[in-house]
Amino acid sequence: MIFAVLIPLLFACFVPIISKIKHKVHTGFFVFVIPFMIFLYFIRFVGTGFSPIRDTYNWIPSLGINFDFYLDGLSLLFVLLISGIGTLVVLYSVYYLDTSERLGQFYVYLLMFMTAMLGVVLSDNVFVLYVFWELTSISSFLLIGYWHFNERSRYGALKSMLITIFGGLSMFAGFILLTVITGTTSIQGMIEQKDIILDSTYLPLALGFILLGAFTKSAQFPFHIWLPDAMEAPTPVSAYLHSATMVKAGLFLVARFSPVFSGYEWFFIVVSSFGIVTLCWGSYMAVRQTDLKAILAFSTISQLGMIMAMLGFGTKVAVFAAVFHILNHATFKGSLFMVAGIIDHETGTRDIRKLGGLISFMPITATLALLGTFSMAGVPLPFLNGFYSKELFFESTLNLNEGMNGVTNFLVQIVPYLAVFGSIFTFVYSVYFFFGVFTGKKNLDKLPKKPHEAPVGMLLSPIVLVLGVITIGLFPNLVNGSFLAHAAQSVNHAFEYKNIQFWHGFTTPLLMSLIVVGIGVILYLTRTKWDAVYRLLPGNWSFNKVYNVILQTIDTYSNKVTNAYMNGSVRTYMAIILGTTFIVTLVFLLVTDGVTINYDNLADITILEISVVLIITIAALGTIFSNNKLAAILILGVVGYGVAILFVIYRAPDLALTQLVIETVTVALFLLCFYHLPQLRKRTESIRTKSINASVAIGFGALMSLIAISAHSSNWFDTISDYFLETALSIGGGTNVVNVILVDMRGLDTLFEITVLGIAALAIYSLIKLKKNEEAD
Amino acid sequence: MSNLVILPIIIPLIAGIIAVFLNKKVVITRGLTKIFIIANLAIVSYMTWIVFNSGSIILETGSWVAPYGIILVADPLSIVLVLTTNIVAAACAFYAPYSLSLKKEQHYFYAFYFFLISGVSGAFLTGDLFNLFVFFEVLLMASYALIVLGGDKVQLRESIKYVLINLFSSILFVTVVAFLYGVVGTVNMAQIAERVQEVEQKGVLTAIGILLFFVFGTKAALFPLYYWMPKSYIVPNPVISALFGALLTKVGIYSILRVFTLIFIHEINLTHEMFIWIAGLSMVFGIIGALSTNNIKLIVAYNVIPAIGFIIMGIGIFNQDAISGSVYYLIHDMIIKSALFLIVGVIAYVAGTSDLRKMSGLMHHYPLLGWLLFVSAFVLAGIPPFSGFIGKLLLLKGALTDEKIAIVIIALLTSLLILYSIMKIFIRGFWGEKNTTMELGKRSMKGFIGPIVFLLTFSVVLGIGAEYIYPSIDTISAYLLDPEQYIDSVLKE
Repeated sequence: MIFAVLIPLLFACFVPIISKIKHKVHTGFFVFVIPFMIFLYFIRFVGTGFSPIRDTYNWIPSLGINFDFYLDGLSLLFVLLISGIGTLVVLYSVYYLDTSERLGQFYVYLLMFMTAMLGVVLSDNVFVLYVFWELTSISSFLLIGYWHFNERSRYGALKSMLITIFGGLSMFAGFILLTVITGTTSIQGMIEQKDIILDSTYLPLALGFILLGAFTKSAQFPFHIWLPDAMEAPTPVSAYLHSATMVKAGLFLVARFSPVFSGYEWFFIVVSSFGIVTLCWGSYMAVRQTDLKAILAFSTISQLGMIMAMLGFGTKVAVFAAVFHILNHATFKGSLFMVAGIIDHETGTRDIRKLGGLISFMPITATLALLGTFSMAGVPLPFLNGFYSKELFFESTLNLNEGMNGVTNFLVQIVPYLAVFGSIFTFVYSVYFFFGVFTGKKNLDKLPKKPHEAPVGMLLSPIVLVLGVITIGLFPNLVNGSFLAHAAQSVNHAFEYKNIQFWHGFTTPLLMSLIVVGIGVILYLTRTKWDAVYRLLPGNWSFNKVYNVILQTIDTYSNKVTNAYMNGSVRTYMAIILGTTFIVTLVFLLVTDGVTINYDNLADITILEISVVLIITIAALGTIFSNNKLAAILILGVVGYGVAILFVIYRAPDLALTQLVIETVTVALFLLCFYHLPQLRKRTESIRTKSINASVAIGFGALMSLIAISAHSSNWFDTISDYFLETALSIGGGTNVVNVILVDMRGLDTLFEITVLGIAALAIYSLIKLKKNEEAD
Repeated sequence: MSNLVILPIIIPLIAGIIAVFLNKKVVITRGLTKIFIIANLAIVSYMTWIVFNSGSIILETGSWVAPYGIILVADPLSIVLVLTTNIVAAACAFYAPYSLSLKKEQHYFYAFYFFLISGVSGAFLTGDLFNLFVFFEVLLMASYALIVLGGDKVQLRESIKYVLINLFSSILFVTVVAFLYGVVGTVNMAQIAERVQEVEQKGVLTAIGILLFFVFGTKAALFPLYYWMPKSYIVPNPVISALFGALLTKVGIYSILRVFTLIFIHEINLTHEMFIWIAGLSMVFGIIGALSTNNIKLIVAYNVIPAIGFIIMGIGIFNQDAISGSVYYLIHDMIIKSALFLIVGVIAYVAGTSDLRKMSGLMHHYPLLGWLLFVSAFVLAGIPPFSGFIGKLLLLKGALTDEKIAIVIIALLTSLLILYSIMKIFIRGFWGEKNTTMELGKRSMKGFIGPIVFLLTFSVVLGIGAEYIYPSIDTISAYLLDPEQYIDSVLKE
């Protein structure tokens, strides 16, 4: 099975080579073979006697990340959609995309997507699923940005990537949580341990993380905003990724994890309410659109919401209706996207206000559109598959189980009304789509091109899909037992096979359908009068705005925040660094009871030491307050010499000597370059800044003293220096211990300290030399 | 005991000295540089093999026995980091001749380059706290030299902040070493660990540890200590930025990792808990910085900070998965950060500007460069199947095992924004209409691409081939969580 998944990706490596001869043979003809072969490979599993198969290939076994492919009913439904629709879309694209386009790239992305999507639906391993999941986002990003010289494409690509990868990362966290809870990375393994998951305190969090992934991918309200902008992609892509397959990955995910979560009441509440709200919002918004693809995009959102809601219901009927509708939606929506592409291709516009009366120019396209839209609207006719699943949807809304939670019961009450409400708009835009484009006034002069029927090749794919619509409509049980039932069973293990019938008496669901049609017709006929209402809500307010505002805010505020503290002043930087170090260390010192003051083992303090220290202190303060740079340099020297005197007092002659030399050299150097030093200026800082700086400085100094005293007071161990004294002569062969330490015991330190000085000299030389050279040029 | 350990330190030192004297003969220096760095890489690879097969390699320098002399320790952690250092350095050695002007090459670039590597390797390999300070000085001094190489006004302006802040932290470092010596009477890290353990890190020891954390944190560019970093990293030549981005901050974070898994591990509820906070803040402020600018080099430089945040997060969580994650992420970040600095260096070179607002449509002329950037963006953000993914997976797993939910959410949002910050370059710079105002297509990318591809190959292998690498990282993590192993290998042999 791994071969079936990876073959598109492998083939993609050869596409750039094949595309070299695109002017002789359209690259699409070569690519076409791949999904078709995959389709043939998987179609053989269809049948009533199907049972799940598993196939494992190691990848990173030590992290539990392996290619565990698991083909059950649900996966089978999806792989057939991916490969089947994929075949048709590639065929369609051959006629849609001119050979002057960058075909190589297009098909590489498309094949990459195919592998990714097959991987998503076949992986039983959560992390591999996540890998493929992100790959779908990436390929979708590239396909939306295919015509990247359009500003809208770039905008849409970025938006879809940010939203879907955001969801992907969240889902990833959810997967890790489930792995931590159950100790397995296999979804089937998690289903077996669902009791542990349901008892875990992490349950709400895990569910939330995973649903966020599903909702963003499947464009659920309010994350749906990326889908309309994704329509900037070439139409074959919209048909394939953004209606038939990728956007259903979220549904797949929810369906896949239903056996785990379905026992949890909040799963029902969250999934159904998001689904039903998306259904209503999407269909309501679709009515307002004027771009054909935008209508279809919002329609897709609404249909995805409907399926999501059914997965949330989780009853046998609902689950069956959901998988049934996944199939049906792929057929009619796929064909409608292709129809929209044909119209765009042949007339040069997708604006429904400019279009009209095309039926006389494009009779075949019109027929396809008619069947597609009516199936989408759920018109009660025995040869439209959309009606069956819509009817089952209504049925499922009517017999929901009451729960223990008030929210659940409230939902159960209102869901049927919302379902009807949303479906009315679905009816309206479906009808509008067809009649707006194909009937009415012909305004040919407004069209960029003179319309005519599309070439046969372009019609082929939508014809196949519409034939699917009709076949399933006429013989629903053809697909029922052979694979839909298996799919439903993998979502709801209690599912049993039932026949689907067109006529089952005058029931409430039928009544709901009739209400939808009735009110829908009225709304459509009076649609001009409702324009004001449609404009009223949501008016200027939309989630698109929210997205834009977020990005805007990130842009402006990140700039403001960063510039606020990165102001280029070393004084500010040091004040913050010292201040933080001071506060945090002080807290730790106090919390861990670190202050120890021990007066043992201290030398006597005489007037001599006190006066030296006083001189040092006064000199140090003098440097700060001096406005004359010469004075500052000299006073600074006093500090150094004072320290040298302290060394003398405490009998460290070598240190005293070193200190004296350094101090003398430093002061001399300072004086040498005195001329070039900038003038000291009076600081014009506010009292507040000054006092903050002063307190940070004093505080830090005090803290260091406190730690120094405490450290000195807690010498709990013998130092290693005794060893040096003992061995300096015997092993080191020297009587001056300091010398032996420097050149032998810690010779490595000395070697590299010398290196440091060498580098410094070289750096200065190079700096001066390079400057000079450049001046000479 | 084996003298092998000194080689990764001494070979670059010798090579550097040779480079000083051959400075005018650039062709020879270039050749020798490549030979030396590849030889060094080969030796380090061999050492890595030994360390993972027969345990740490210890050298008591000058035969002064532990804990009295300076001990060099090639343990699994340090040798892996030295190996990564040399991989990055090798890529830079091949990139440098194309990127640098002849004058900069003549003015001791190669010497400073080798001194930097010598210092970095020494810092990774030493088992002595004071010696660590010395190697810090070596690598910092080399970095001061590199940052001003060329002597542009902007370089001098930024370098003064860089030097001042780092000088301060060096002073603090040596002071803290003195404090610590005052308490435990030794500078040998294994013995410090042993003695701190003996008194259960009582009294002033935790405060000293925290001071040490701030010293290393300043070098590592943690929040709120990173002010010196972003702007000073972008002023030198890209190849120098790449070395800095890959090595300098990482030495700081390595030191934290070492000290806070070996020595100060007896007040974890206090110290390591704080690390998680700092990790979160570093991620947030770092990524805000990366989003705040249109300078492509600065975008990458700011991205150093959240990456450090990820690593410190793992140290803070302090369980097997999290530490593995930190180590994995550390290696991953050294490689991808240098690759990214090299990539934006090429972009700025071919576009003639680092300002994103002035770019568009580079894809029409430099598709390969575009795809390299594209892949790097996903590597950096930890999107599978690349190296960042494995590190992130381990870190998040560690965090969730310990119920640290907030940091997980911050880490994920940061990942998204990291991706956004780099994709911005791709979308605005590479996509779009052909730009006629820029003189595009004229400058050739010849020579630049090889080293970048070389580094990205490692990123891909670390991700897809994780099965071959992860067990070693897991070994390192188990080793770090059991300090006795380190102490025994140094003191009881």
